[in-house]
Amino acid sequence: MSITDRIARGLESGWKVIDGATLTASQTHEADVVVIGTGAGGGTTAEILAKSGLSVILVEEGRLYHQKDFKMNELDAYASLYQEGMSRVTRDGAIAILQGRCVGGSTTVNWTSSFRTPEPTLNHWASQFGLDGLTPDAMKPWFNGREERHTISPWQVDPNPNNDVLRQGCEKLGWSWQIIPRNVKGCWNLGYCGVGCPTNAKQGALTTTIPGALDNNATLFHGLRADRLIMNQDRIDRLKASAMSADGVTPSGVEVELKAKHFVVAASAIGSPGLLLRSDIPDPYERIGKRTFLHPVNATVAEMPEAVDPYYGAPQSIYSDEFNFSRGVDGPAGYKLEVPPLHPAMSAGVVPGHGEQLKADLTKLPRLNSVLALLRDGFHPESPGGTVSLRDDGSPVLDYPVTNYLWQGLRDAFYKMAEIQFAAGAKKVRLMHLDSPWFATWGEARKAIDEMPMEIHRTRLFTAHQMGGCGMGSNPRESVVNGFGEHHQVANLSIHDASIFPTSIGANPQLSVYALSARNSSRLASKLLS
Amino acid sequence: MPESSSKPDTMDRRSFLRTGMGGALFLGTVSVTAGLSGCATSPAGDGYTALSDARASNYQFRFLTKDDIVLFEALLPAIVGPSLTEDPERRRIKIRETIERVDAGIHQFGPANQKELRGLFDLLNFGLTRVTVARVWSSWENASTADADAFLKRWQTSSIGLFNNGYIALTKVSNVAFYGHEDHWAASGYPGPPQWAVDALPQFKASA
Repeated sequence: MSITDRIARGLESGWKVIDGATLTASQTHEADVVVIGTGAGGGTTAEILAKSGLSVILVEEGRLYHQKDFKMNELDAYASLYQEGMSRVTRDGAIAILQGRCVGGSTTVNWTSSFRTPEPTLNHWASQFGLDGLTPDAMKPWFNGREERHTISPWQVDPNPNNDVLRQGCEKLGWSWQIIPRNVKGCWNLGYCGVGCPTNAKQGALTTTIPGALDNNATLFHGLRADRLIMNQDRIDRLKASAMSADGVTPSGVEVELKAKHFVVAASAIGSPGLLLRSDIPDPYERIGKRTFLHPVNATVAEMPEAVDPYYGAPQSIYSDEFNFSRGVDGPAGYKLEVPPLHPAMSAGVVPGHGEQLKADLTKLPRLNSVLALLRDGFHPESPGGTVSLRDDGSPVLDYPVTNYLWQGLRDAFYKMAEIQFAAGAKKVRLMHLDSPWFATWGEARKAIDEMPMEIHRTRLFTAHQMGGCGMGSNPRESVVNGFGEHHQVANLSIHDASIFPTSIGANPQLSVYALSARNSSRLASKLLS
Repeated sequence: MPESSSKPDTMDRRSFLRTGMGGALFLGTVSVTAGLSGCATSPAGDGYTALSDARASNYQFRFLTKDDIVLFEALLPAIVGPSLTEDPERRRIKIRETIERVDAGIHQFGPANQKELRGLFDLLNFGLTRVTVARVWSSWENASTADADAFLKRWQTSSIGLFNNGYIALTKVSNVAFYGHEDHWAASGYPGPPQWAVDALPQFKASA
């Protein structure tokens, strides 16, 4: 039960960590490489570059939070650790976007599920986007390396009752299920991954690569918002950034300029296209911000006969790929089935309703199970994803139309999720949909799902995985970067995050980001050092 | 055929789109009109006289205006009322604390979503649109819990997506602020973080 706080220890030992809120005068700094973003991609990149001897400055808009701040409290965590205080949505408000905004990015708040990029996805990328270097065989050593770095292995402990509903339901129906690999070391099995791991067991960027980079002389600015990359002829000369006040949302007026030989953007599938668009980075084929993917999620809840305590225990330990790639990589929309943890604020935000009806639903919380479907978007012509553009104030916004192709997948997922829950013994099942009552039998649910209007707002939709928007590919007319994350037009710009995925992944994306960033950072380091 | 045509009346969808767009434009103009017509448009700070209870609160409102506070005083009994205590004094305090948490939450939302919510709250506060769009006849100050509930149900069941979205925004921000808070964990049967872990972890020690 090691609860060593690497961050607290490092700060004591003199790491170069600067809180933007403490800056009182505008200033300029310089390094070999400036890395924008400290999540799965930025952390990996910074550690590898710093270890190779390059000087690195890391820039994070969110603030540095660590064990002392992680008190298993949802309201505090959602306000401080998530983008837009957990209120981020797509442009029309139809899809709630769960995304980290803190040092470590989404890896600080994710539920630790760590999958290799599925082979059909990598093969699809090779055949459709000319990414021949990313075949399963070529990527294998990078997955191995990152699994070791982040202590990823299938969860050894019994699934909690919430996840066991998915296992039992699949088992009864003869559908496949598997144990989820997690990035944890000495996990206490508490269930609070989503609000910042209270025991430092989670091996996300915050406890692995960020400390690794800082141990190797990297500098971290947090509470510093990357505003614009400034070009000088055909190269990026510097980053202009704004310091944020201690509240994390108000710019203090202090400006920081960061100069470097090379710039790595790792600010997420919404943040990275946003930064590139604000910077007027050359984009001759108007690809920046296009083909942004979300793994759109719908969900059902079940009232189980016994206590489930869906707030306790490893939040995700069982998954089913029965319907993910089974109808072909580019067939009808496939989906991965998983389980979300249910704490009271999360439940109150996800279960729609008010008054007596909502009270009655939430009172069931100890006996509630939920199953969710992650739709694999971007593999079919009728799933072209969304588009990131800029609001008047320069902030990025994602327009993501839900196409009929996706609605068919979402309706299909409603059937399967309800069927699983009834098969596992649910007394009642409700869809996360404004028009859904509680159903007492699978037959009743099936009939109702036939008629359920699949429309935005009425169907509650979510995303915890943002991908694409700076897609990679061999053809510059159709992509922003090549298979190494190198920008097609600007020589000293790389992109190392989920924004370079040319489709969604078909699995929780953190290990895909770790592995691809490790591969591309190793190449970048040797290029910069030669 | 589009999936949504499985709904009996395809006209619904077309009119939804039209009204949705019109509604969005309309929302944009209400904030301006509200400002001109004397609605409270600046954050209430600490001076919210609308709440009559005597207990002083040091909370400084950063986003909600006095009118917004009155709006939430009217809506919260319909949204979370059934989980509130019957005791009128404690009920008032719980409602006030929930409104403070709504304000604190919205402060962290940042400018873009604050702008959206400003449009929504102004639409509901401005008399003309309150009556014509929300179809709430009395001022929020005089609206009963039944009035508030009827309004919420209209927007919940409306075939106009914009109203569904407004319903979700109002209920979500309220429900999360209420049920998510430690004081109301019992309402959902959530026992809180495991005590053995709290006892064992350094961040919960008094010195942390």
